[in-house]
Amino acid sequence: MATRLSSLERSERRLGIALLAPAFALLSGVVLYPIYNLIRMSFSENKLTEPWLAKPWIGFENYAKAMGDERLWEATWHTLLYVIVTVPGAVALGLGLALLANQPFRVKWPVRLGLLLPWALPLVFAGLIFRWFFEYQQGLVNNALIWIGLPPVNWLTQEGPAFFAICVAIIWKTSSFAALVLLAGLQTIPKSLYEAAEVDGASKWQQFWEITLPMLKPAIIVALIFRTITAIQTFDIPKAMTDGGPGNATETLAMYIHKTTIDSLDFGYGSTLAVLMFVASAILTSIYLRHTRRDPSAGRH
Amino acid sequence: MRKRIFLSLSASFVLGLAMSVSTASISVAQTTLRIFTGGQQRPDVMRKIADDYEKRTPGVKIEVEVGGATSEQQQQYLNTVLASKDSALDVILIDVIRPAQWAAAQWAEPLDAFLGADKDKIMARYLPAYREANIVGGKVIALPYFADAQFLYYRKDLLEKHGVQPPKTWAELQAGAEKVMKAEGNPNLSGFQTAGAPIEGTVCTYLVPMWGAGGALTNAQGQLALNTAEARRPFQLWADMKAANVTPPNLAEIPTDRIRQNFQAGNLLFAMNWGYVWQRTQNDADSQIKDKVGVVPLPGFTADRAATCIGGWQLAVSAFSKNKKAAFDFAMYLSSPEVAKAQAIAASHLPVFPEIYSDPDVLKANPWFAQALPVVQTARSRPVSPAYPRVSEVIRTNMNAFLAGAKTADAALADMTRDLSQVIR
Repeated sequence: MATRLSSLERSERRLGIALLAPAFALLSGVVLYPIYNLIRMSFSENKLTEPWLAKPWIGFENYAKAMGDERLWEATWHTLLYVIVTVPGAVALGLGLALLANQPFRVKWPVRLGLLLPWALPLVFAGLIFRWFFEYQQGLVNNALIWIGLPPVNWLTQEGPAFFAICVAIIWKTSSFAALVLLAGLQTIPKSLYEAAEVDGASKWQQFWEITLPMLKPAIIVALIFRTITAIQTFDIPKAMTDGGPGNATETLAMYIHKTTIDSLDFGYGSTLAVLMFVASAILTSIYLRHTRRDPSAGRH
Repeated sequence: MRKRIFLSLSASFVLGLAMSVSTASISVAQTTLRIFTGGQQRPDVMRKIADDYEKRTPGVKIEVEVGGATSEQQQQYLNTVLASKDSALDVILIDVIRPAQWAAAQWAEPLDAFLGADKDKIMARYLPAYREANIVGGKVIALPYFADAQFLYYRKDLLEKHGVQPPKTWAELQAGAEKVMKAEGNPNLSGFQTAGAPIEGTVCTYLVPMWGAGGALTNAQGQLALNTAEARRPFQLWADMKAANVTPPNLAEIPTDRIRQNFQAGNLLFAMNWGYVWQRTQNDADSQIKDKVGVVPLPGFTADRAATCIGGWQLAVSAFSKNKKAAFDFAMYLSSPEVAKAQAIAASHLPVFPEIYSDPDVLKANPWFAQALPVVQTARSRPVSPAYPRVSEVIRTNMNAFLAGAKTADAALADMTRDLSQVIR
C-alpha cells in the first residue's frame, strides 16, 4: 500500500515538474537570463558608439566610476525624494478615495469609474496630460492663476515647482491603485464592529480611528510596499513632463540609466547603474517584507 | 456568438487567400521596403513621393513608418531597433549629425559598392557640406535627402508698421523687438524664440552665437576650447534678451516646433528656426500670418559675421536590411534632383543640389530660396564624433538649465567643460 502511494506521489511530482517546466523555462528566458546578462555586462566596457573596443572585461572599473559619479547621487537623491513624498501622498489620498467609494451611494459606478480611470491610464499619458496642465502658456493651472489675479508660474522649468508638479501627477496617477487595495480592505471589516461602536456611543471620528484604521493596517502596508517599489522605478511621468529638466534637476535613477544606455549607448556603465538600482530596491523591499511577515497576522492575537 | 466569430474568421481567411492569390498573379516578386522618417520631416510628402516610386517601379511596395517629432526621440527608437540588429527597416532618414555615429556602430550599409564607378561623379553633384557629412572614413554612409539651416523668420507686417529693418545683428534684433513689443502692447506677443527645451535644437542655441562671436567648440588641434571669451558670449546674449523680456520666461520649455506654432498663431515677432517653417506658415489652414512672413539669414554680433547650424536629413540603408539593393535604388531616387525639386515646392525643404535654388518653379513657391543658398553653403557642422549623442546631451542639458535659471553661466560652462572633456580629448 505504502509503495503504491509513493509511486503515485512520484508520478504526481513528475507531472508537477512537467507542468511547471514551461513556466520555469519561460521565466528563465525572460527574467533570469537578462539579469545574468546585465550583471555580466556591468563588468565590461560596452559602448555601441565605439564597437572597435570589443567589449573588454574591466572588473569593477564601472562600479568605481559610479561611486564618484555626482549625477548618480543626484539622481538617487531625486528618486528618494519622490519616494518620500509620493508614497505616503498616494496612500493618504487613496485612503480618502477608498472611504468615499465605500459610502453607500445609490449609484456606485461614477465613483468606481473615477477610481479605475487613472489606474487604467498608461503612465506616459498621465505625464503628457499633466505637462499640458502645467505648461506656462497654454496650461490650465496658469490659466486658473491668471483668472484669480495671480501671476503665472514657470512650473516645469524651475526646480521646486517642477518637482511639485511631477509629484502631483504621480500622486494622482498612483493613488487609485492604493485606493483599490484599501477598498478591498475596507470591505472585509465586519459591519458588526461599527454597530457595536454605535451602540456604545462612539462618534464617526472615533470609529475611524479605533476601528477602520487598525483593521486596515495590513492593507495599508501592502499598498505602501507596492507603491514604494514602483516609486523607486519612477520614469515615465518625469520623462514626459520635464525629461529631467531644468538641467538634470528632476532626473530619477531610471531616467539616468535610460539616458546612459539608450541615448548615449554606453551599455556597460548603464548596466552597472541598473545593477546598483536593483540592489537598492532589493534591500528596501526586503526590509518591508520582513516587517510585514512579522506584523499583520501575528500582531493581531 | 461563437458562430459569428467562426464566420468572420473563415471570411477573413478566404479574403486573405484571395488577396495573396491576386498579388501573386500581378507581380512575380513583390519586394516590400520600409522607410523610417520623423514626424517633423513631412511624412505626408514622403508618402506621395513613395506612391510615385511604386508606380514607376512595379513589384516594389513602400511602407512609410513615422517616428517621433524630434531628432533624439527618433534616435532613441532607432537605437533599440538597430542595437538588436532588427531587419524591419530598410531605409532610414537620419539627421545630418548622425553619419559618424552610424558608421562607427556599423548600422549603415556603406553604399560604395552600389554606387560603383560613378561614386565620385554622383557625390560631386551635392552641395559640398552634404557630400562631406555623408562620407565617413572614405565610405559613403548615406545619401542626402534635403538640406537645412537655421534662418531668422520675422513678421514683415509688424516690422514695416513700426519702421524696423530686418536685423543684421543681435543688438538690432533686440532693439527692434523691444520697439515693436512696446508699440503693439499685446501681452501675447513674444519678441524672439529659439529652442530652449532639452532637445537637439538647443545645441544650436548655444553654438550659433558662439560661432558668430568667432569661437569654436574645439581648437585647431581638435582639443576642447571652452575657456575662451567667445564660449561665454551665448550665455550673455540670451541673458540680455531674457532681462529685456524679448524672450519669453518659459524659453526653457520651448522645443523647435512650438516656436513654429507660436509664430504661426501670430504670437511671435522673430523666430530662429529651420527651413520647413516657411511652407507651413504659407499653406497651413490655421496660419494667421500668411503673406506676412519674411526670412533672412540669422544675425551675428557684427553684421559681417553671422553663423548658422547646418541641418538636413540623410538616407541610410540599414546594415540589417534584407533588401539592400532595392533599398539603395529607392534611396537613390529619393536623393535625386527631381525629388529635391518636388520636396522644395511641397514642403519648402531646401535642396541639396545648388542648381535647384534657381529653378523658377521652386522660386515661385519659395521666393526666399534666392538668399538661402549662400546661407546653406556657409552653415557650420555640429561637432563630428561617434559619441555625438553624449556631446549633444551635455550641451543641451546645460543650456536648458541656464535658460531656465537653474544654473548660472559660470556653473553651466564649468559643467559643460567637465563633461565634454571626457568625450572630446
